[in-house]
Amino acid sequence: MTRSPTDATDEAARDDGGLEQAVARLLTVGTYAAVALLAVGVVGLLASGRSPLGGGPSLDMGRLATDLVGLRPEGFLWLGLLAVIATPAARVTLSLVGYLRRREPGMAMVSALILAIITLSIIVASMSEA
Amino acid sequence: MLAGGAAAGVFGSLLGLGGGILIVPLLTLGFGLPLREAVGVSLVSVIVTSGASAGVFLQRRVANLRLGMTLELFTAAGALIGGLVAFLLSEQLLAALFALLLVYVAITMIRPRDEPADEVTDAAPPASAIERSLSGPGYRVTNLGRGAAGSVGAGVISALLGVGGGLVKVPVMHLLMGVPLRVATATSNLMIGVTASASAVIYLLRGEIDPYVAGPTAIGVFLGATAGSRTAHRIDVRFLRVLFVVVLLYTAFQMIRRAMDIG
Repeated sequence: MTRSPTDATDEAARDDGGLEQAVARLLTVGTYAAVALLAVGVVGLLASGRSPLGGGPSLDMGRLATDLVGLRPEGFLWLGLLAVIATPAARVTLSLVGYLRRREPGMAMVSALILAIITLSIIVASMSEA
Repeated sequence: MLAGGAAAGVFGSLLGLGGGILIVPLLTLGFGLPLREAVGVSLVSVIVTSGASAGVFLQRRVANLRLGMTLELFTAAGALIGGLVAFLLSEQLLAALFALLLVYVAITMIRPRDEPADEVTDAAPPASAIERSLSGPGYRVTNLGRGAAGSVGAGVISALLGVGGGLVKVPVMHLLMGVPLRVATATSNLMIGVTASASAVIYLLRGEIDPYVAGPTAIGVFLGATAGSRTAHRIDVRFLRVLFVVVLLYTAFQMIRRAMDIG
């Protein structure tokens, strides 16, 4: 609304190439890792002969590690699902760091607020669950 | 379930929709899951497909990261609201809303695709500093305020019904904000991840996501979408469109029956 930036700074601000590529890599790696974990879990589930409709176990962070060590399918499925949900948040965190480094307070603020909303939904959901 | 997810993924990617609109009916009508559980699973599947393709779009520099993140702020807020409201509504009301969405999508599919609105010209209102910093090569972002409001709506719909919300975001960006269609589609795809994860977390923590269902469905959709995007150019989309409309209307009919039946 105030003084509009010159075209030169416009161009400079748009040069997001490096950050965009880093975010792209993170998204790709995160998604493939999550899919791989889920695939291991699904194969294990099929091998165990259980029906997917029998009702799966609920998430129990305490049991997650032992399930993984014990190579139980639910461990891989849960870790995969958590990876799916965490990947977008990781992407926003990476952008936050990137924009801070570029000294772009506006975009850094946007990133921080998105993270705040995700955190808020975690808090609200776990509060009402209890 | 794997196959059903794959079919939803193929269909979705061929027609430029997320798989969500098909996953929810598949799980509720096909496998008898409660609607809310189906929505939770669908959200997870939608994040997986968008993550894979958003990476590619960003690499090719089609998606606009700045614009996406700015609007994400509003879709995520909408998703938080929608995720909480979803637990207050009855299954019947959710089913009725889903049926409405299906009919709406079917109508947009039948209507001939609108020719792209005339190129944004000098007549466009002068962009603010923020809008300028969000603009990309060859286009200028306008109407940020209305775009943000539309994004909140897209977030609510996504969280309530388990869809990506591209149906709202793409027209908002393209027609309202002056973003080229290709960029709008890619950016909308990028935004799905954050939007859906803000509400998926709520479904997850409230125990509405069953890993035994979510795993196979997400893998199926991922495989289907991958296969679909590779074959898209070899298939006659017009025939597919008609088939899709029939499927949508039939599904809407079933959803309405469900909305009336239960309770």
